Amino acid sequence: MIRIYIDEQKCIGAGHCVRSAPDVFDQREDDGIVVLLTGEAPDEQAPRLKKAVELCPAQAIRIETTE
Amino acid sequence: MCPVRLWNGKRAWLVTRHEDIRAVLSDDARFSGAMANPDFPAITPARVMVDRNERAFVGMDNPAHDAYRRLFTREFSVRRMQALAPAIAAIAEGLLDDLEQSGPPADLVPALAVKFPSLVMSALFGSPYEDHEFIIRCAVARHGLTQSAADAGTKARELAAYVRRLIDAKEADPGDDMVSRIIEEHVKPGRLSRDDFAEIGAMILRAGHDTTTNMIGMGTLLLLQNGEMRRRLAADPALIEGAVDELLRYVSPVQFSPRRVALEDVEIGGVTIPKGEGLFMLLASANRDQAMFARPDTLDAGRDASRHLAFGYGIHQCLGQMLARVELRIVFETILRRLPGLRLAVPLEEIRFKHDMQIYGVHNLPVAW
Repeated sequence: MIRIYIDEQKCIGAGHCVRSAPDVFDQREDDGIVVLLTGEAPDEQAPRLKKAVELCPAQAIRIETTE
Repeated sequence: MCPVRLWNGKRAWLVTRHEDIRAVLSDDARFSGAMANPDFPAITPARVMVDRNERAFVGMDNPAHDAYRRLFTREFSVRRMQALAPAIAAIAEGLLDDLEQSGPPADLVPALAVKFPSLVMSALFGSPYEDHEFIIRCAVARHGLTQSAADAGTKARELAAYVRRLIDAKEADPGDDMVSRIIEEHVKPGRLSRDDFAEIGAMILRAGHDTTTNMIGMGTLLLLQNGEMRRRLAADPALIEGAVDELLRYVSPVQFSPRRVALEDVEIGGVTIPKGEGLFMLLASANRDQAMFARPDTLDAGRDASRHLAFGYGIHQCLGQMLARVELRIVFETILRRLPGLRLAVPLEEIRFKHDMQIYGVHNLPVAW
């Protein structure tokens, strides 16, 4: 599994994560800041999640592979 | 990393590689984007005047930047922009109706590239459409390379004053638009002053009018010059969304920005930038960096170009980028579908490119179909 961590303080609401993986990330309705829809995802999601990490201009997303 | 001497005798640095630009723009502790900093580098004397007049968060460091930006982020969220797509598509269809009735030939710059984002911004922001020429004049006074400092300063003040009057008008007579929503959500509860909103609104209007316009002009020209890409996109419109990022990578309309000033001696890209020296990010260069993009000078509709830096990087990355992406996807899809015979009506040599602007594009695009 892949664990997903977000840093709301760093987030600037650019939205790349929602574009990359809309079933994992969303933006809060009141201020556009990132919301995690799920804290973990199966390994086959890795390419999309890595892309979300890499595209985030505020470096607000981190992922970890777990057993 | 390339040292240059500016018009005022100061040394500055051109940052050209993808990796180095990302490193600078994500290091807010050591590189400042505060336009009020006397060491902040500027390409012309007029740009110094613009920087001195900048009151919106585009010219601020954190924590002030994020506090202001967060008041506006929801207006440009991915889902909000997706929800706007049908209204934006209706605007594009209407403009193509007008084109078909009046032409051919036509100059696609005034007829579509200027009108389309102006109509979208009018609907989204709430500025009357008939004011778009004034807004564009103000944007050009900021983005040009040949205007006087006095004109740049005056137009910056005029646009903020215009938005300040629009705020009063919307407070008296609200509509379904960004200005009216921000008044209700942030101005009335005291989170945002009317004057601060006017400065931010001016920034949003300038950016919304003068950037997408240039991508539409350049993007259409590139599609006309690249028959294979054009046929591929026309045959499979699902590819257009990715192709928009590839066109953004290839064109990179924003020139000589973003800029930063080193707050301490910093080693980057193998050189030490002394404290107080300025840096210009050359986004167009980063977007042709072969360490990031294979065959960087080839326009390729099938490429994953999403790592391009055309919208910048870091906390100042373009606020309106998801709107721009939706606008560009829709306008190119509409052009390809409705005008399959579109072609240049003049030789390429008669196209005037914007070498006189800090946002690259075309001044004219005469077409027939």
